Amino acid sequence: MKKNKAMIVCFILPCLIALAAVYLYPVVRTVLMSFFAIDSVTADMSGWTFYGLGNYSRIFNSSTYRLAMWNMLRIWLVGGIFTLSFALLFAVILTSGIRFKKFFRAAIYLPNVISAVALATMWIQYIYNSDYGMLNRILGAFGLKGVKWLGTDMKFWAMLGAFIFGAVGYYMLIFISGIERIPQDLFEAATIDGANKVQQFVKITLPLLKGIIKTNITFWSVHTTAFFLWSKMFSPIGTESTTIVPVIYLYDTVFGSQGNAARDAGAGAAVGVTLAVIIVLIYAVMNGLLRDDDLEF
Amino acid sequence: MKKKFLSLLLVSAMAVTMLAGCGKEAAPAASTPAPAESTPAQEPAESTPAEAPAESTPAEASGDGAADYSGVNLTFWSMWNSNEPQGQVIQEAADAFKEKTGATVNIEWKGRDVKQIILAALEAGEKIDIFEDDYSRISKTYVDFCYDLTDMAKAANYDTVSFKCFNDVATERAGFLPCVTEQPQVGGVFYNKDIFTDCGITSVPTTWDEFLTACQAMVDKGYQPLALDGAYADFTFAYHLDRYLGEEAIKELALNGGWSQNEGVAKAAQDIIDFVKAGYLAENAPDEYPSSQNKIGLTGKVAMVVCANYVCAEVNNNSGTEVNWGMFNYPAVEGGVDPSNAYAGANSLAITSYSENPQAAFDFLLFLTTGEFDQKMANTASQIPADPRNTAPAIMDGTVEALNATENPLSWNMGLGENSDLGAAFGDVIRNLYEGKFETGEEFAAAMDALY
Repeated sequence: MKKNKAMIVCFILPCLIALAAVYLYPVVRTVLMSFFAIDSVTADMSGWTFYGLGNYSRIFNSSTYRLAMWNMLRIWLVGGIFTLSFALLFAVILTSGIRFKKFFRAAIYLPNVISAVALATMWIQYIYNSDYGMLNRILGAFGLKGVKWLGTDMKFWAMLGAFIFGAVGYYMLIFISGIERIPQDLFEAATIDGANKVQQFVKITLPLLKGIIKTNITFWSVHTTAFFLWSKMFSPIGTESTTIVPVIYLYDTVFGSQGNAARDAGAGAAVGVTLAVIIVLIYAVMNGLLRDDDLEF
Repeated sequence: MKKKFLSLLLVSAMAVTMLAGCGKEAAPAASTPAPAESTPAQEPAESTPAEAPAESTPAEASGDGAADYSGVNLTFWSMWNSNEPQGQVIQEAADAFKEKTGATVNIEWKGRDVKQIILAALEAGEKIDIFEDDYSRISKTYVDFCYDLTDMAKAANYDTVSFKCFNDVATERAGFLPCVTEQPQVGGVFYNKDIFTDCGITSVPTTWDEFLTACQAMVDKGYQPLALDGAYADFTFAYHLDRYLGEEAIKELALNGGWSQNEGVAKAAQDIIDFVKAGYLAENAPDEYPSSQNKIGLTGKVAMVVCANYVCAEVNNNSGTEVNWGMFNYPAVEGGVDPSNAYAGANSLAITSYSENPQAAFDFLLFLTTGEFDQKMANTASQIPADPRNTAPAIMDGTVEALNATENPLSWNMGLGENSDLGAAFGDVIRNLYEGKFETGEEFAAAMDALY
């Protein structure tokens, strides 16, 4: 028994040490940093000055931070509704026994295989471009005036549309796995009882997908909170308020922005902590709202 | 079989897009558009003047041609990649330096991300002798880790082989000379000389009125005067605002507001409103970067763009053309301030304060940034030479004159960036200005004040 304990320790210790070094230490350090005034993210702790809630006060009073949070909220809410709705719709269609199911599933998932940089470039240069973009060509074919899709009014929505296009396939696959888990007997019994497809979806599929929906919403929240690349691609030279999100704000704060070399690692850490808290809150709320342990099948 | 085919298809798609995303462009890498962080890379212009490079570097002049640094190892963190033209010239210079002095320069190609990692490396005391980055960051952010080059520069008469404006600014910020200029940049109006000639414009505009007259002449001939990508709208407007107020006043406004109380703001904005209404912007401008500037090369109908010198190589690379580029300083406005200054920035080289071989490192920096290798860098990467004795390639015509005329270089966005918190919001209001969303200059000023 004693020997076994030693073996257990031997096997677990490397993992624990690695976890503490690459996960716990950065997390604890980031939380600590958020209460100190620090310029450089790697500054020695002896050079830190205690700042209390000063960093939090700074970011909450920053109109740019508030705008970044607002943009993130819109991505989460509007993007979430569209992405998860389309994903669920496609998942239901693809599990309903249609022909060429595998082709459609692969086609919808394909954007996830393509590099996001290439995908964003495609949207910016070939779809949204004012002169030769696909959308304005289509509008032109109907005799309609072209739209400045990447002008200040439309840029956020253009970015969100492109992002949704790339994200739907991922969530669709998760929904498909959830739907395929539901026993077919339930649908057959419902069909015999006279339930149509819509009724089956509302009364059987949806309730039994609660756990999957919760998972998808949590994944989507994490996805949204870490939103960075699309924002960078849609504002490639300098940060723009139409596309700014908290991680971009964090990046500019920690590493300095275009034309301003000032760095504030403490404020950056505060942004990181608030984002982490938001994810935890969303997860807790989802757990409270969508309990998936009341149904067994 | 179907599954295998599908898997193969997906893997191929992934591989192709990864290659497309990570691969090098057919033309050499264009610059990172950030100010003073990089210079576009491009093949040398065919018409590059083949003037002989400066005869000798100061280090050479000070002795028999080279010191003996046998056994010395220098570690150099570069912001370039080894396959970029700049990287190739640096490697060539390092090899030649070894042959000449015996010192080995070990180059670590860090790419543009050097700015994210260099500070941590310096704080950790990593074995670095030389590092490369924007001179603003060197003289502000990394200054505590920079070797004071003042004495060595004086001994080597560095003043005579470099642009004074960069040395002055870096020294003023750091309190000593912290870096050696490697790749200077200058901002202004870059134009297609052929269009100017076709429109009968024989001299470049020096005042806003002359500029408008030139624009009208271009419109009359069927040309579109000014390309503008939204990403550079704030830079373009800030130049105009600078001509009214000067950089210090813009910094003050950026930090504390009060745009509506300053008459110059409304005047500058009104000029732009009138400019847009007159139809002097290129079609669909402000466009998404780099669509509008590319039209200079792609259509041959768009004449000018306000940017830094790397725009020339970018447009040529992107459009596959050789535009006959010229450059002039942004025009003066009536009742404005000193119009002689231009935006100027530089990628520069610094020596770490803890380097064990600072003199050898300094000699290498001069070897690279003056004389033969500087000329080679200018030609290969189509950029302004760091040594004023060298000759700028034809594509950079006018840039050296603009740099020489600049005593107090303007910073990127001429002080708007001073407010790091509102910088992005300023950009959007300014883009609205170019999108024609304001009827009067006062409305624009009020919109700027509303951000505070």
